[in-house]
Amino acid sequence: MSDAILQTTGLGKRFGHFAANSDIDFSVREGELRAVIGPNGAGKTTFFNLLSGFAQPTDGEIFFKGEKITHVAGPRRVVRGIAKAFQTANIYPDETVFQNCRLAALARTQGLFSLQLFRSSQRLTDVDSLAGEALELVDLAALKDVRAGDLSHGDKKRLDIAVALATRPQILLLDEPVAGMSIEEVHKTDRLIRGLAKRMTVLIIEHDMDLIMGISDSITVLHQGKILASGTPAEIRGNSRVQEAYLGGHTEGTV
Amino acid sequence: MKDARFYGLTALGLVLFPFLIHPIGGYPGLATQILIVAIGSIGFNLLLGYAGLLSYGQSMFYGVGGYMALLTISKFFPDHPNFWLAILLGVGFVTLMAVAIGALVVRLYGIYFALLTLAFAQMFFFVVFKWRDLTQGDDGLQGISAPPLSLGFTSIDLTGTFPSLDLGPFGNLSDVHYWYAFVALIMLLVLAFTRTLIRSQFGEVLGAIRENEERSTFVGFDPRRYKLAAFTIAGALTGLSGALRGLYETSIAPDALTVGTSGDFVIYTVIGGVKTLFGPLVGTGLIMYMQNVISAKTDAWRLIEGLLFVAVIVFLPGGILGSFKRKRARTILAAAVAAGPPDAPSRAAAREAAP
Amino acid sequence: MAQLPGQLLDGFIRGLVYVAIALGLTIVFGMLRLVNFSHGAFYAIGAYVGLVVAQRYGLVAGLIAAPIAVAVFAVVFDRVLLRRFYDKEPTAQILVTFGVAIVVEESLRLYFGGTTRTFPIPDSLSASVNLGFTQYPAYRLALAAGIMLLVLAVWLFIERTDYGLIVRAGVRDRTMVQLLGGNVKQASTVIFALGAALAGLVGAAASPIYSVDPGTGFSFLVPSFVVVVIGGLGSFWGAVLGGLIVGELQSVTTLVFPAASDVVIYIAMALVLLVRPSGLLGESEVIRG
Repeated sequence: MSDAILQTTGLGKRFGHFAANSDIDFSVREGELRAVIGPNGAGKTTFFNLLSGFAQPTDGEIFFKGEKITHVAGPRRVVRGIAKAFQTANIYPDETVFQNCRLAALARTQGLFSLQLFRSSQRLTDVDSLAGEALELVDLAALKDVRAGDLSHGDKKRLDIAVALATRPQILLLDEPVAGMSIEEVHKTDRLIRGLAKRMTVLIIEHDMDLIMGISDSITVLHQGKILASGTPAEIRGNSRVQEAYLGGHTEGTV
Repeated sequence: MKDARFYGLTALGLVLFPFLIHPIGGYPGLATQILIVAIGSIGFNLLLGYAGLLSYGQSMFYGVGGYMALLTISKFFPDHPNFWLAILLGVGFVTLMAVAIGALVVRLYGIYFALLTLAFAQMFFFVVFKWRDLTQGDDGLQGISAPPLSLGFTSIDLTGTFPSLDLGPFGNLSDVHYWYAFVALIMLLVLAFTRTLIRSQFGEVLGAIRENEERSTFVGFDPRRYKLAAFTIAGALTGLSGALRGLYETSIAPDALTVGTSGDFVIYTVIGGVKTLFGPLVGTGLIMYMQNVISAKTDAWRLIEGLLFVAVIVFLPGGILGSFKRKRARTILAAAVAAGPPDAPSRAAAREAAP
Repeated sequence: MAQLPGQLLDGFIRGLVYVAIALGLTIVFGMLRLVNFSHGAFYAIGAYVGLVVAQRYGLVAGLIAAPIAVAVFAVVFDRVLLRRFYDKEPTAQILVTFGVAIVVEESLRLYFGGTTRTFPIPDSLSASVNLGFTQYPAYRLALAAGIMLLVLAVWLFIERTDYGLIVRAGVRDRTMVQLLGGNVKQASTVIFALGAALAGLVGAAASPIYSVDPGTGFSFLVPSFVVVVIGGLGSFWGAVLGGLIVGELQSVTTLVFPAASDVVIYIAMALVLLVRPSGLLGESEVIRG
């Protein structure tokens, strides 16, 4: 699996006796758009938390471009190029939309820590352009001076994505990017994700099956913390075990 | 506000301060004391207002700074007492303390952080209290005059006074010692430094971490290092405050390291205005004025202080100066009081990880 | 080393006093997620009220008046002020309760004066009891017995009553309890008042042994936080275990390494915070970096 950009072997996360994730052997190639789906409680968000460094695994290893990153802390993973957009839009509510992205761009530019006690970040012109680019990508440039906390839910989620993008990631983890969005916003986000998928590897957790089936290169199905199946959308759609796992056997529409 | 205007107005204010308080019962010595302590409050504000960390242990930096400065003169270098050396050793030692302790405390949040800083402060208190050979224990160090301030071409005895000049209701210029001028200059530098820091790249990221630590972590900042830096700078400022206090008062006692002293910094800063530049100075000035002037009139002054403190937290979380801010007064306190349940990362992790 | 049994007993009794104070603190944190820096004030109010009433009407009257007075104060404090801070960040809670503690301390100072007072021990209990290895003051033994009964009573309350059920459920999941319609508001006031009354009662009962001055509140507050951290914030048995550990730790250190007897509890607290912030018996979901 030498061309896998992100890979896990035997990855697991136990809380006491409860195994949120176990035995996950996962790999994704550079440039892929991989969906991670599964019924509620399957452990999808836990999996993303392990990948992003939000949580530490109890078993297994994680590799990024061949290097072991299992115990690398969250901020350093971002530096390496793994960025995450959160399930509940996690932004700086009191800052403007632009400043939200600027902060992420600043992190990309200055690194984990800078003891620059005297000069302001205004002097770093790359930061502004990086932030601007991210906003353009998610089509929020028009709202750049709005206070982030005042945005609509859908716009906040897109801002969260923009913030992740401003760190110039190689892999983008999107946790339920269209949850709670109107139909129109879902379409917009669909186009956005397709666009992003052309420039970077994208992993997406979602319940919206129409969206998933439409845009994914491949799908990994989690069930009860383990991988149940993996394959192209067509293969997954036809997989009876996957249908069983989702009670009632729908794989179309939103589960 | 433009830099030049800022420095000009601040300098003017500092020059006028000892005289302006004269008609209301103040005196230049009080002005000096206020400025000295306020340096420590500004340090505390850096932690609470800008880094969002409530430390109940600043007294350890204050007290140790004072002891080190005085011991430098009386014990470490008794034959060559040097003012700058005393300050240097005081602040330097405290800075090392802050780095060591900071590395441990910044792993914690909320009440646990506050309690750990308190635990360390208590440890230092008891060490100072019991180590009689070094610190004279309960009696403290006394009667250690500050050597003259050497400026290369000349040296100034800070206890000297300015020439006489009657200023009517504002007192006399000769009431003012050179000490005040020296401390005022240091205060100007401290204010300038703090102002610059807040607007700097470091300050910007620190504020981002305070506003949303989780997000900051996952855009690639290392919150722990930022908090450690803030803790160290705050400690150094508080140590400077303590060193100056020791040298000014020519004495120091273990009460400089008590929980009460730590609490004083909290009170001064919150009342004056958390997350404002001058808030700590205003708060320190107001309360110390009350302590020194009102206390002569009534025994209830500390009760008034307590009531004022509670009133500020409940009704005016931005403090006295915070309510004048033109921008939305989203100080850490206002946010804490207005916001919902706390959202430290591990709680959120527990939530996100739940199926 | 012949002093050891006596010291251990001293430590045990001091530990029990800490337990009684810490119980209120830890239960309130566990159930209301409230950090209360004014908890020491309850002890102090109890001590003074007990003192004043006992001087006129005797010890028993003092021991009844103290917790009642403190409970009333606690209810008023809760309704008027503290309630707004239940769901706020710990920083705001610490600050407002700290402020109230100062107000209480200063009010006591203004009213009663700053001098230290001692509570006279009633004649019936002023004798010493022969325990075989040492003579020991009867009052202290009575105090110990009393506190142990109290702890048992509180335990029964929590385990066997409806309010207690709400407490236990609330420690686990407060939102759920509210959703289930449990009368959480009333229960919280009851719990808060109970914890306060407990501290007040012990304040009155222990004042013959530890003298009383306006600063008593703070001098007991800090060690009670040490107890609660070591035992685990929110844990009943944690408070019991923590209190006894702290009491004994102080006593034993006084015998073995006197210079460190004051500081040892802070070293212990720091170690717990650094290694296992949830304490010996606390839940492991804790606010940690």
